[in-house]
Amino acid sequence: MNVMAKDSEEFAGFGRYAGPATLILASLADGTKHGYALTKDIESFAGVRLAPGTLYEALARLEAQGMIEGVESHDRRRPYRLTAAGATALRAHLDNQRRVAELGLRRLAGSWGGA
Amino acid sequence: MTPAGRAARLVRWYPRSWRDRYGEEFAELLIADIEERPRSRARTADVIRGGIGARLAGAGLCGFAADAAGQVRASLVSLACCLSIFLGFGAAIWSQLTIGWQWSESSGGAATAATIVTSAAMLAFLVLAVLAAAPVVWVAGRLIVRRQGRDLLVPAAVVLAAAAVTFAGGRHFGNGWPGTGAHRGFVPGGLAAFSWASTLSVSSYWAHPSALAAFPAGELAWMAVSPLAVVCAIAGAAATVRRADLPRAVLRYEIRLAGAACAAMPALLAGCCYWIAGGEGTPLFHPGAIDVLAVIAMAAALLAGHRAARQARLRLTSASA
Repeated sequence: MNVMAKDSEEFAGFGRYAGPATLILASLADGTKHGYALTKDIESFAGVRLAPGTLYEALARLEAQGMIEGVESHDRRRPYRLTAAGATALRAHLDNQRRVAELGLRRLAGSWGGA
Repeated sequence: MTPAGRAARLVRWYPRSWRDRYGEEFAELLIADIEERPRSRARTADVIRGGIGARLAGAGLCGFAADAAGQVRASLVSLACCLSIFLGFGAAIWSQLTIGWQWSESSGGAATAATIVTSAAMLAFLVLAVLAAAPVVWVAGRLIVRRQGRDLLVPAAVVLAAAAVTFAGGRHFGNGWPGTGAHRGFVPGGLAAFSWASTLSVSSYWAHPSALAAFPAGELAWMAVSPLAVVCAIAGAAATVRRADLPRAVLRYEIRLAGAACAAMPALLAGCCYWIAGGEGTPLFHPGAIDVLAVIAMAAALLAGHRAARQARLRLTSASA
């Protein structure tokens, strides 16, 4: 399967939300989280604090596309979890990103040395 | 104000449907964020931007709403609103040209070409409107007859009443129009007078209250009532489309017609612009400042309409996938 084509197809609709979407999916990859827990987790592993409006805009898109789903909760803070479709899309996207990163690093090493 | 109060105020930037789904949990996140960072203009700006984005998505102009079919209907309604604004101003310009022809032949090439182009475009819009309305009337009518569409009764009645007011008023004031009766144009005089009377409210007289005060009271009342009737007709039609559960085939058909309407919009706008840019001709065909404003409004409606049509296509495709 052409991973790059699959990746661009899954993330094509996200536009400038592709970044937040990737961070949210990566955060949910190790379990369910509600909005505030997502913000703190993403801040800890990516050094980026997603503003509330941006976070929920991306959450709503991901939910509309079936990549995440809300979990029933008695708490006012609804947790979200990754769906199988979301896991597939995230894997394809990260594989593609890794290939780009590896290629860039190889070219850098070839032209600019290992420093 | 408490963090909860500030959060509740920020959440109000979002539309009701969004608040029903995400409001509580979003408010909880905002409360936690406000307690952590009591003052943040970036957060306020981000929430306002998100709220406006959600409202535009709800209107079917951009983004994603959870209900794909609902967003397709919302996009079609937004397109219909844009088209109504576009055609309202377009008809005002077209009626000026056609009324001018009733009095004398145009001495300028721009007015002649613009009359031909705008008349052809108006005819195309009339055909498209009939084709677009037919299946909606059929679906809504069938639901009402089968007593399954009680919530369609009020909007359908509003549309009918508003159309009746527009028709009766347009006929009445069109008949009172002091034309020569010597038909010189290729648009029938009655139709030109009706169009002129229906768009009487698109007038630069609003900027000159002393001149406006000299108008007969009935005409002034009509200038105020006619746009309200059009707004009521649009609101009623929008509510009918939103509430009628249109089958997917009908949505696809309406989107095709929307594409055709979007293709016809630049033709009407080009005709109006050509007339205004031409500028020459007898005083009867001389464009004024109100026509320039009308063309600007038409251009804005065209851009928004194209966006709504594109969004409808995208969402129907993603809903089918």
